[in-house]
Amino acid sequence: MTKKTLALLLTAATLLAGCGSTGASSPGGGAPKAGGTLVLGENGQEPPCLDPHGNASSDGPVATVPVADSLVWFDADGTIEPWLADSWNVSDDGLTYTFKLRHGVKFHDGAVWNAEALKLNFEHMKDPATKSPLAAAYIAPYEDSKVVDEYTLEVRLSSPYKPFLDILSQGYLGMISPKQIKEAPQTICEHPIGSGPFIFDKWTKGQSITYHRNPDYNWGPKGAKHTGPAYLDKLEIRFLAEDATRYNALASGEVDAIDFTPPQNVEDVKANPELGFLSAIRPGHPMSFWLNTSRPPFDDVKVRQALLAAVDRESIIKGVSFGQYDVAQGFVTSSTPGYAAALEGSIAYDPAKAGGLLDEAGWTGRDKDGIRTKDGKRLVAYFPIAANFPAQRMQIAVQTQAAARKIGLDIQLQTPPEQELTDRSNKGDYDMSSGLWATNTADVLWIQYSSENITTDKRRGQNVARLRDAQLDDLLERARQGENPAKLYNQAQARLLELAPAIPFYDDPRPVAYQKKVRDLTFTPAYPSPYFYDTWLEQ
Amino acid sequence: MIRFIAWRLLAGAGVLWGAATLTFLVLHFTPGDPAEAVVGGEGAAPTPEVLAQITAEYGLDRPWYEQYAGHLWRIVRGDFGTSYRLHTPVTQAIGEQAWATMELALAAAVTGLVLAVAVALATAGRRRWIRGLAAGAELLVASTPAFWLGIVLLTVFSFGLRLLPATGSHGLASLVLPALALALPIAGVLGHVLREALEEVLDEPFIVSARSRGLADTTVRVRHALRHALLPLVTMSGYWVGALLGGAVITETLFTRQGIGRLLVAAVNAKDLPVVLGVVLLSALVYVLVNLVVDLLYRVVDPRLKEAA
Repeated sequence: MTKKTLALLLTAATLLAGCGSTGASSPGGGAPKAGGTLVLGENGQEPPCLDPHGNASSDGPVATVPVADSLVWFDADGTIEPWLADSWNVSDDGLTYTFKLRHGVKFHDGAVWNAEALKLNFEHMKDPATKSPLAAAYIAPYEDSKVVDEYTLEVRLSSPYKPFLDILSQGYLGMISPKQIKEAPQTICEHPIGSGPFIFDKWTKGQSITYHRNPDYNWGPKGAKHTGPAYLDKLEIRFLAEDATRYNALASGEVDAIDFTPPQNVEDVKANPELGFLSAIRPGHPMSFWLNTSRPPFDDVKVRQALLAAVDRESIIKGVSFGQYDVAQGFVTSSTPGYAAALEGSIAYDPAKAGGLLDEAGWTGRDKDGIRTKDGKRLVAYFPIAANFPAQRMQIAVQTQAAARKIGLDIQLQTPPEQELTDRSNKGDYDMSSGLWATNTADVLWIQYSSENITTDKRRGQNVARLRDAQLDDLLERARQGENPAKLYNQAQARLLELAPAIPFYDDPRPVAYQKKVRDLTFTPAYPSPYFYDTWLEQ
Repeated sequence: MIRFIAWRLLAGAGVLWGAATLTFLVLHFTPGDPAEAVVGGEGAAPTPEVLAQITAEYGLDRPWYEQYAGHLWRIVRGDFGTSYRLHTPVTQAIGEQAWATMELALAAAVTGLVLAVAVALATAGRRRWIRGLAAGAELLVASTPAFWLGIVLLTVFSFGLRLLPATGSHGLASLVLPALALALPIAGVLGHVLREALEEVLDEPFIVSARSRGLADTTVRVRHALRHALLPLVTMSGYWVGALLGGAVITETLFTRQGIGRLLVAAVNAKDLPVVLGVVLLSALVYVLVNLVVDLLYRVVDPRLKEAA
């Protein structure tokens, strides 16, 4: 990490803290009080399974982190702090991690946290029977582990994997009771038992999840403001899928806080003296439209660069987000450790340049509709989208379509059935695809752009741009192995700007709004989601 | 009578089989690998081992007719399988949601019926402007999308006046608005039909003779005319049940209630075949039973049918 990036991250962290903890403990404060129930209105992405290792939903961590602690804590500046592990040691070859575990930690069912418990959790993540959609892939290099003594576990990896600790801090890899894993693994989805500050009570599917305080809790992360049990007696997460319902439930006082504040309501929240606002940019890959680089027309880098230059991202994003989102400056978001701040401003809106690039690429003819042609073929790109495509993303797609048309590129939006869509995306039968990937390491670039991650019959990967670039592969692989990641990730980001495998649109935020009586509501920075350990209610 | 019921039950079983078969075929032959549905979606990165495990566990690699026979055979034995998405038995997944939907549907049915009967009784055969006003109001609520009606109710009663909760399914207060949103369009249609029927009946000679005996207008309407006019409502029971079940999907989503409707939407999106089959069979069963009850009710409401049988 360069000094500049570090400085930037620190500023970002301070700003975050400014919106968050300081904002939440405003004048008239005082000592935190215990008691009360906090109701959080969540969006509609209710996880189908509450086993942290068994879900990939963006609402997974907010629902499982209250119950399940993680091995390590990730700070907003990218440093890794102790949590259920007191300390760790990485061998010189990067293949062996030795964890010294915290003493005196107890799960909600009385099971003891020790080396055996950690080993069982790793095995549970890996076990195909867990049907893990995410955790298993995140610890893919995990080979096996050896219990050295009661509180020491030696973990062996098949290849060096620098992001291992970062990943372990995410809620998707939270620690579950070894007793439950051994005796009743089929119950974890429905009723997860962890060691967290809140004990799981009840999941009313389609509606809410409730928790109550763990009175024995005394092993909060180092970054927390207090020690001992949480302040809240009870916690309820209510799934309010409709944006209007969620916002109005907060405005009318029916809930104490809401997650994913609709962008159209953020200004109202900020203007309302009874409400507070807290937002963090999710680390990882910005919301983007990926371009399929493995077939025409986007196999030609000039056509990709042309589209990138033809789209006025600034005005599109300002419009669809009501001025709330930051335009993406590259291929990782600004809150990701390793973000190349020096490259900011590299993607410029320049329709004239876009036209020139298409001319150079040989698309010089025009048909009667004004679409460019080459050797009698029209310049067309197919963009299949899901039926439940978010309205906001649809607006971006339509405006991108309009911008592309101006330079003579015809983007055709298609809505095949959901499963056909998955099928086509696995086969690479598309020219454009949309999405984002939230994770707390620049290794997201390996996930999204390493040629190893192009989906094949044998392996499902996230390289939806189907990019295959030897130079980039080499940079990402070496960074992953642990050789000077700061420098290598910088070079990788510069290389990606040349390759233009996607139109990055915005850095996805996690905007939370709350009643002012809610104090010290914060985020877990590893996968930004509301975190309630320090939270208390002013009665 | 018993033979009649037995025949209807047998036909009902045929309907259930047909529904199960159609659902299976439609879901099976839409393209895509259900294994992807189990652990797929944006943000998921299943490893090859996980996909292989799912394919083996659910028998997704077997030919379609084997899977079809397997599903039917299990259903006959009362085993509806395990949800792909929720990893829990289908009976449990549906059982958790069924009561909430039943509560909503019953509340909406009763509210809709009471409203329709009250308005129709009060306005049938009255002055032109009164009928026009009632008919206009009925047309308005019947043609208003349930979604929009729900938002209006929320805006006024929850967010504006703060009289009733906007979300959840805790107790009576949280049932009022969703039940009303579901009931109003139904009341509109039923009220309209009922008034037409009442007006026809009110012209019949037996009403004239009842009136000539000196009976009060209300007594004539409630005790004599209503019973005759109810027949078309009974005939429309298919519409009602459909409107209640279909409307539940939207109402449950908007008011964040538990229910079969939301379960079904999530299951269809995820190609969760066992849950979809379970919900479809349950809906078909409700239709079959309601139709049976209606046929029996005809005999109560209209004694002429009894003699014919």
